[in-house]
Amino acid sequence: MAVLTIPLRALVALNTVLLRIGRHAAWMALGLMVIIILLQIGARFTTGALNWTEEAARFLMLWLTGLIAPSAYRWGGFVAIDTIPRALPKTVAHVLLVLLLALSLAVLIVGAGIGWGEVTGFPGTFDTAALYTFFFPSIGDLTVTFGWDRMPRSHMMASLLVGVCLMILVNVELLVKALLGLIAPALELPQDPDQTAMAGTE
Amino acid sequence: MLVWFLPVFLVLLLIGLPVFFGLLAAPGALLFLSGQERDVTLLYRNLYNGMDSFPLMAIPFFMLAGELMNRGGITIRLVEFSQAIMGHLRGGLAHVNILSSMLFAGLSGSAVADTSALGSMLIPAMEKNGYTRRFAAAVTAASSVIGPIIPPSGIMIIYAYVMGESVAALFLAGIVPGVLVGGGLMLVVRALADRYDLPKAERIVRTGEPLSPAENLIARILARANFVGVLWLLYLIVGLIWEGTTGAPFGTGRDEAGDTIGFPVLPVLIFFVVLTEIIFRRLRRVMSEDLRNTCKRAVVPLQTPIIILGGILAGVFTPTEASVMAVAYALVISFLLLRSMTLADLPGILMRSAMGSATVLLLVGAAVAFKVVVSLSHAPEMLAAFILTLSENPLILLFLINILLFIVGMFLDAGPAIIILGPILGPVFVDLGVHPVHFAIIMSVNLTVGLATPPMGLVLFVASSVSGERVETIARAILPFLAVEILVIFLITYFPAISMTIPRLTGFVQ
Repeated sequence: MAVLTIPLRALVALNTVLLRIGRHAAWMALGLMVIIILLQIGARFTTGALNWTEEAARFLMLWLTGLIAPSAYRWGGFVAIDTIPRALPKTVAHVLLVLLLALSLAVLIVGAGIGWGEVTGFPGTFDTAALYTFFFPSIGDLTVTFGWDRMPRSHMMASLLVGVCLMILVNVELLVKALLGLIAPALELPQDPDQTAMAGTE
Repeated sequence: MLVWFLPVFLVLLLIGLPVFFGLLAAPGALLFLSGQERDVTLLYRNLYNGMDSFPLMAIPFFMLAGELMNRGGITIRLVEFSQAIMGHLRGGLAHVNILSSMLFAGLSGSAVADTSALGSMLIPAMEKNGYTRRFAAAVTAASSVIGPIIPPSGIMIIYAYVMGESVAALFLAGIVPGVLVGGGLMLVVRALADRYDLPKAERIVRTGEPLSPAENLIARILARANFVGVLWLLYLIVGLIWEGTTGAPFGTGRDEAGDTIGFPVLPVLIFFVVLTEIIFRRLRRVMSEDLRNTCKRAVVPLQTPIIILGGILAGVFTPTEASVMAVAYALVISFLLLRSMTLADLPGILMRSAMGSATVLLLVGAAVAFKVVVSLSHAPEMLAAFILTLSENPLILLFLINILLFIVGMFLDAGPAIIILGPILGPVFVDLGVHPVHFAIIMSVNLTVGLATPPMGLVLFVASSVSGERVETIARAILPFLAVEILVIFLITYFPAISMTIPRLTGFVQ
C-alpha cells in the first residue's frame, strides 16, 4: 500500500501548491481583464480606440482558464451525469470511476502531446496582432532571451498546454485515490486543505 | 464509421464521464480509428480557438457581476422592494419570491445563483410566515429558472457563440418569455393561495431607516429619469404605430419646402419631465416614508439591466463591454454607495467567478471542437432526413423536439445540452423554416426549465441544500409550477411573435 500512498501524499502536496498559485494568478487575471476592458471603453470615447485591449483580455482569459480549471476538476466542478453510477453497487461504481478516470487521463495525455507540438511547432511561431513582450522562453532548448518585441502566439497557446498538464497531475491524483478506495476502502486519503477553506467562505 | 461518435458520446455521458472529456474522447477515438489522425489535431486546435473569443468573455464578467451583487447586499434590496409591491397579496411572500427572481434575472442570469441567493433569504422567511418548507423551496426553484431567460443570460451567450447568432437579439427575445414565465407562476400562486389559504405578508420590512443623503439624491434623480424613459419609449411605440398606419413621418424634421413636419421632440420631452414630477409628487403624498425608502433603495441596483441592455441597444457597448460595465457598476455600488464590501473580499469573489467561468469556457471550447466533428460526420443531414421521416409538418416536429429537449433537460444542465444539441438540431430546424432566434429561445427556455426537473435538476439540488428539504419532496411540490412553465414553452413555440417582436421592433432581427 505504501507504494501508492507515499507518492500520493507527495502528489497531493505538489498539486495543492501548484493549483494554489494557479488560482491566485487566475483571480488577478480576471481583475486585470476588467481593468483592460474598462480602459478600452474609456479610450474609445476619449483618446480613440486602443488596438491591444481585446487581444490582451483574451490572453488573460485563456491563461485564467488554463490555471484555474484544474482546481475545478480537482474539486469536482466538471459537469457529469452521475445517475447511473449512483444507482450501481458500490464496488461496480468504483471500478467504473477508475475506468472513467483512466479514459480522461488518456484524453489529457493525447491533448498534452498535441499541445506540445502546437506550442513548440509551426502554429506557435506566428506573432500576435498587437501584444508585445520582453520575455522569450524557448521551451525546446530551455533557454530564455530578453528583448522588446511582438509576442508569439505560442505564449497564448501555452495556456491550454499548461492547463492540460496540470489536469494530468490532478487526474493521476484522483486515479490513485480511486484505486486506493477500491483496494482499501477504510484507508484515510490525503485531502486538499484549500477545498475546505474555499467551501467555508461560500 | 464516424457517425458512431454520437452514440458513443451519449454512452460515455450516461456512465458518468465529465461532459468536457466526453466531448473530446468520443470524436477523438473515432477519428483515430477511422484513420483520420490529423483531424485529432484539428480537434485540439478547435478546443483552443473555441475559447479564444472576445464575445465569450461576457461569461466570466456576468458571473463576476452576479457574485458582486450577491456579496454586496444588493439582493436583499430587491427582495424588500418586491415585498413592498406584492407582499400585501394573498400568498404574498410566494409572489415576492417570483418577482425577486424576475428582478434578479436582470442582474445575474444564472438560475443557480438565483436559487442560492434568494432561497437562503426567502425560504426561512416563508416558513416563518406559515408556508410549508417544501412549498417555499418549490417556489424558489421554479422561479429561479427565469434567471437565464430574462437578459443577461449565460446560456444565451453560449448559444449565440456556438451557433453564430447575435447575443443582443437573443437577449431581447428572452424578455417576454421570461415575464410570461413569471406571470404564469404568479397565477399558480394566486390559485394555490385560495386553496391553501396562503397568508399575506408585511409590505415593509425595514422601518425608520433613512437613506444616506447621497443615495437619496441619486435615487430620486434616477427614478425620475427612468420614468421619463418609459414614457419616451411608449411615445416611440405610438409613433411607430402612427408611421405604420398613416405613412406620415414621425419625429421632428423638415420637408422639401422647409416646413416642420412630424411630431416635436423637445416640447414632448419637457412635457414628460413635468408630468413625471407631478406624478412623483402625488406618489409622495400617498406613500409612507418607509415605503418610499424601500423603493428608493432598489432604484440604484435596478439600473444594472438598463445599463446592460440600454448600452447594447444604443450601440454604445458590445455585450462583452456591457458585462464589464455591470461589474464596474456593482463595484461602485458595493464599495462607494452601500459600503458593504472591502478590498479583502475581492480575491475570493474573483476566484469563485474565475473558477465557474473556466469550467464553462472549457466546455464551450470542447463544444466547438465537437461541432467540427459533427460537420465531418454529416450527422445533421442524417438527423434531418430521419426527422423528416417522422413528419414534414414543422409544428409537429417542434412538438417532438420540445419533448426531446425536455427529457434531455431532465438529465443534463442547460449549458452543456445547448453546446451538444445546438449544432445538431439548430441547422435542421432553420432549414425547415424556423427562425434561428426563435429556435434559440425555444431551446434555451426548454432546457432552462429542465434545471428544475428531477432527477438531475441542478436548482432542485441547490434548493434542497438551502432549505434542508429532500429533493424528492421539492420535486413533487414543484409540479404545478412546472405545468405552467411547460405551457409557456409551447406558447413560445407556436406563437413566434412572443419572442420575436422585440428583436424585430429594435431591428436586431429582420
